Amino acid sequence: MKIFSGVIEELRAQGVEILEVLESHPQEAVIRIKTEDFHRACLFMHKRLSSAVMAMFAADERKAKNAFEIFCVFLSREFQKWCILAADIPQDRPAFPSLARDIHSASFFEREIREMFGLEPEGHPDKRRLHLHDEVWPNGLFPLRKDFVVFGPVAPNGAAYCFNRVLGEGIFEVPVGPVHAGIIGPGHFRFSAAGEPIVNLEIRLGFTHRGVEKVFEHKTLDEAVRMAECVAGDTAFGHSWAFCQAIEKASALKVPARALYERAICLELERLYNHFAGIGGIALDVGFSFAAQFASVLKERVLRLNQRLTGSRYLKGVNRIGGVRRGFSRQDIQALLCEILSISGDHKELKQMLLTSVSFMDRVDETGVLRQKTARDLGVVGLAARASGVAMDLRKVFPDVYAGSDFRLITQERGDVLSRLRVRMEEVEESARLIIYFADRLADLAGAVAANFPLAAAGCALGAVEAWRGPVLYWVKVADGQVDRCKVVDPSFHNWPGLAFAVLGNIIPDFPVCNKSFDLSYAGNDL
Amino acid sequence: MKASLLLLQAGIAVLGAPLVSGFIRKVKNALRMRQGASLGQPYYNIAKYMAKEEVVSEATSWIFRWTPSIVLGSTVAALMFVPVFSFSLSAPGMGDVLTLFFLFSLGRFFLALAGLDTGSAFGGMGSSREMFIASFVEPVAILSVAVVAGHSASPQGGLMACSMGMSFSGMVAAAALFMVVLAETSRIPVDNQETHLELTMIHEAMLLEYSGPSLAMLETAAHTKQLIWFSLLGAILWPWPVGSSAALSDIAAAAAFFVLKIVLCAVIVGLTEVSLAKMRLFRVADFLGLAFLFSVLALVISGLGY
Repeated sequence: MKIFSGVIEELRAQGVEILEVLESHPQEAVIRIKTEDFHRACLFMHKRLSSAVMAMFAADERKAKNAFEIFCVFLSREFQKWCILAADIPQDRPAFPSLARDIHSASFFEREIREMFGLEPEGHPDKRRLHLHDEVWPNGLFPLRKDFVVFGPVAPNGAAYCFNRVLGEGIFEVPVGPVHAGIIGPGHFRFSAAGEPIVNLEIRLGFTHRGVEKVFEHKTLDEAVRMAECVAGDTAFGHSWAFCQAIEKASALKVPARALYERAICLELERLYNHFAGIGGIALDVGFSFAAQFASVLKERVLRLNQRLTGSRYLKGVNRIGGVRRGFSRQDIQALLCEILSISGDHKELKQMLLTSVSFMDRVDETGVLRQKTARDLGVVGLAARASGVAMDLRKVFPDVYAGSDFRLITQERGDVLSRLRVRMEEVEESARLIIYFADRLADLAGAVAANFPLAAAGCALGAVEAWRGPVLYWVKVADGQVDRCKVVDPSFHNWPGLAFAVLGNIIPDFPVCNKSFDLSYAGNDL
Repeated sequence: MKASLLLLQAGIAVLGAPLVSGFIRKVKNALRMRQGASLGQPYYNIAKYMAKEEVVSEATSWIFRWTPSIVLGSTVAALMFVPVFSFSLSAPGMGDVLTLFFLFSLGRFFLALAGLDTGSAFGGMGSSREMFIASFVEPVAILSVAVVAGHSASPQGGLMACSMGMSFSGMVAAAALFMVVLAETSRIPVDNQETHLELTMIHEAMLLEYSGPSLAMLETAAHTKQLIWFSLLGAILWPWPVGSSAALSDIAAAAAFFVLKIVLCAVIVGLTEVSLAKMRLFRVADFLGLAFLFSVLALVISGLGY
């Protein structure tokens, strides 16, 4: 492994004054810098590590040091490290220079910081609020500040949201949502179309904003694990693991191998059922109902397997800090192996059925192309990025429990709906193989399924898990044994802008299948 | 006597039409290993709409309010020009095959206007797509039926032509007509009745603003129109003159044969829908273009005397 301190020296050579470097965990380096250097340091790290902004957030530390803290998280694949730049923002001048004009992936995070903390990203080209809609929320009220108390209804400021407008002869707007005909989350989609082809798509989200990060504050750690499971319903396990991992890193807790294998199995099971749902969803959205039905049977079988193994169809209540709640029995593992083999056999049939159907392939091939350059520029992550040829997967960057499994990173080049479908199909195969590998390992292990060391009463760390949709990040700061600040980043937050670009030039009736191929979460985005 | 039989036939056809839709759904669900709703579900739906309050946008004009009656009326009138149960039971001297298609066009014209009338984006999209598809459907329908009618040299009094028996050109025309039927009954690969996705809808998009009894009328019209297309298709595909006289026993035999034909059509349509994905909107032009080719081919073959 290369030495990360070289990068810090390069950063210093850029004229950035480094106040402190904290490497409490081998996978994480927190570099504390001065406020005035923050912009320059972020730009340098962005280029040097060739990483998008994986997370950017603030914390209210006015009580301790009369200042807000701002963090910017980059991922270095080369050094296998999370690099977190941190700076103070004095409370008498609550502003910071915006990165948005140089780094697109910072744009939405900065808007979030602005509305949640009242810190002004100076020079940001788009200052509309993301989650706290003008129709329901007043100006000057910042919920993530520590002095904000939850109270009754607030007076909205009443300003109307301004959509970007496309003008020209024959251009018309199609507003869709936030209430949709199907049972899906609420989101408003504003299409500007010339006939059927889409000229511009603007996505407005935030309708399911529940104040998750605020609710996390002052929760005990056990309560917070349960909370994390509820942030995005289809990624309950990914979220709870990422949260537990953050606490375990902060407490320097060594999780037993048995628990790690069980977690890995659950994460792959979550990937399996969601990928089957995604494959079926793509088939259904192009009206190929036979294959959709087939896929939903496979999804149901995985859910029942989940129930058998953990007692929960959606893998809730499995994780606890330090490990898992209960170990799989030998019979469970046997049943798991049998069922996975049978499911992957059926999956082959489903794959064959879809990829040889001319009418189906005609719909998904070349539809909704997200080019690799666009994906990189926007900071798209996870499944959608891999389908566009961006070879990034946290399971590869931080192998940990995957280290001996010979994990295969799956990518596709073209970035269309078909590529996203193929990534899902190949990941299903790879997940099935991984589950069998982990189950084999697990069968020989005995002993505790959770570490019982005392947890740190204070500290902070970043937890990250490659869930089925992409990396889920939790930055947690613990104080007095409670959560003091918890920043959640669901991959959906990075990927919604990718969808807006992928549909350009496609016709309006193809939007649902493009949307389904990304399969993004509303709840995970709106928090 | 004949007039009352004719009206009776129309009444039975309108009442029975929803059953065909229910049957197709049953076929599709059986193929997909699902139990699905009962055969009578389309009737329950219509009954439910009838009992519901109707909400009409203030922005609409008389077109929106009158369209359901016009569509249902024109569709029921169209019933008179096709051989439903018996070839002998079509209105004589009232009009010919062209009248049938003009009645369909009348309904379509008003439905498209009503879709635009509400000013909703979906209605407009639905209308525009419906007219786009209609521009391919109508020539094929007229041409292929004309081929069959030309064989009998008598487009008068419905499709007497069918009683002429099977011909090669008739089969080719039937292939073209089958593709048109899929488009006209909002079936995959052209449209998808089962979808909840507003952005992909064609026929349903025009109806989105309707509720209550108006919606019930439009749904009834859609079921009836489907039955008309199926009976037309059945008459061309299986043109055996079962029960060609107006005697009651003959009519009963014809009715039984008719039910068999409709069931066959429904099964074929159900199979088609389950085994195909819906086409990309603009690909429909290719699909119906092929149908047009078939109908021209049928004309040529019929000109050669086959």
